[in-house]
Amino acid sequence: MSILRNFLFDVSGLKGDWTMKSFIGESIRQIRDMVNNDEQVVCGLSGGVDSSVAAALVHRAIGDRLTCIFVDHGLLRQDEAKQVMETFADTLNMRVIKVDASENFLGKLANVTDPEEKRKIIGDEFIRTFEREAAKLGQVDYLVQGTVYPDVIESGTAAAAVIKSHHNVGGLPKDMKFKLIEPLRQLFKDEVRKVGEELGLPQKVVWRHPFPGPGLAIRVLGEVTEEKLSILRLADAIIIDEIKKAGLYGDIWQAFAVLPDIRSVGVMGDNRTYAYTIVLRAVTGYDGMTADWFRFPHDILANISNRVVNEVAHVNRIVYDITSKPPSTIEWE
Amino acid sequence: MNQQLVLILDFGGQYTQLIARRVREVNVYCEILPFNVTCEEVKALNPKAVILSGGAASIYDEKAPKLNKDIYDLGIPVLGICYGMQLMAGQLGGEVSSSCVREYGSTRLLVKNDQDIFSGLSDELMVWMSHGDHVTKIPDGFFVTASTGNTKIAAIANNERKLYGVQFHPEVVHTPELLRIMNANCTECNFIRKWCIPRTV
Repeated sequence: MSILRNFLFDVSGLKGDWTMKSFIGESIRQIRDMVNNDEQVVCGLSGGVDSSVAAALVHRAIGDRLTCIFVDHGLLRQDEAKQVMETFADTLNMRVIKVDASENFLGKLANVTDPEEKRKIIGDEFIRTFEREAAKLGQVDYLVQGTVYPDVIESGTAAAAVIKSHHNVGGLPKDMKFKLIEPLRQLFKDEVRKVGEELGLPQKVVWRHPFPGPGLAIRVLGEVTEEKLSILRLADAIIIDEIKKAGLYGDIWQAFAVLPDIRSVGVMGDNRTYAYTIVLRAVTGYDGMTADWFRFPHDILANISNRVVNEVAHVNRIVYDITSKPPSTIEWE
Repeated sequence: MNQQLVLILDFGGQYTQLIARRVREVNVYCEILPFNVTCEEVKALNPKAVILSGGAASIYDEKAPKLNKDIYDLGIPVLGICYGMQLMAGQLGGEVSSSCVREYGSTRLLVKNDQDIFSGLSDELMVWMSHGDHVTKIPDGFFVTASTGNTKIAAIANNERKLYGVQFHPEVVHTPELLRIMNANCTECNFIRKWCIPRTV
């Protein structure tokens, strides 16, 4: 580390004046330069850290010329839609339109099992939904997206192979009608959080665990159905609830449930069961590039196990994913 | 943007993003670009420094990613890391060989010259090594600034042209967690070691 410092400061004479405060100022100036006074901007709000911070930054720059569109694609977690509306419309006084497009998304995902195909379909449908909604607003010129730097890099530089196609970069339809504003595309995740704090976003938004754009669709392995989604949603809510009760939420980079496409035999009461397995995934990390599985105290694991198997119908087994990234990735698809 | 810029050129190394994180951590803005950037593009971006990442290739491979050599002459300080160092040495007239012994893991580095990138540091440092190839002859105008038990030429410098190379990974910080993750992935390199056939006879 000190070798890099020496190279940067002593040898190359850099000043070291890159701070999030300077980034915000510069970014606001750029957005104002880019968007004319008579132009309208929409933002796809997911409730995640990236799109929330992107929206707040653009809102700081151009105020109510920004309208946020929050798409409920039917792949959200429990109560997520409600929380997003409360935070942005009620607390931050931003213009937010909520669209229920779950039937469209789930219809398009029927019989689709390939993870890359799921991601492409969802990315595509996202943009179509925005276009439809934005059309109702009259002339809209720009779309804000919370693309961050690792998305830009992972979507393919010359030397790096595509790892996963991120739905907000690789999945963009070619005939897209918006121009893009991606104010965070130069930032790493921890920098995005610093920007969020500087902008005064609530702690629960800034420190929320990352949630992928394709939502629960990539945590239901194999075909996505309503039944599987509701199983996963409930298991996920219990896991997060137990982690928060144990005071561990802030120690974990990301924790969630996965529903793999397997069933196994169990015995509940006096009956044989043949039901789903839930995977618990919890990792510590710093910027999503490397991650290690979280060392839960055993009694917390026991609470999670008891509650998930007792409270979630069609689940008779829970396993804990103990692989780091690399060689695994954090998400399963 | 008026921000001072450091360019990190990606030769396909697994730690390229980590380099960028480390640079940002000390409040310096940087961007990662593919290795095949042209000299004109670099000039237009006006970076204060250039870092060449590591990479899996051997510089003599037919398809090995190469840097546009004119970039070394722009007067911009360049730091080559691992493959980046080998490439710099090879492109400027030095030589690189592959050895059957892969050096992987935490290694003691003996610093021979405490100027420039080593200034203010102690004579012995623990550094992270992960390489098969190594520099065997340095280009004219360069001198060796550090070595390890297995690698005589572990760091090189040409202070006049502000060109530097390190065979180790200064971006890897020795946290116990990181070491555990990296050691867990070492099965592959043991495999390589076992089956490796010397390229040069």
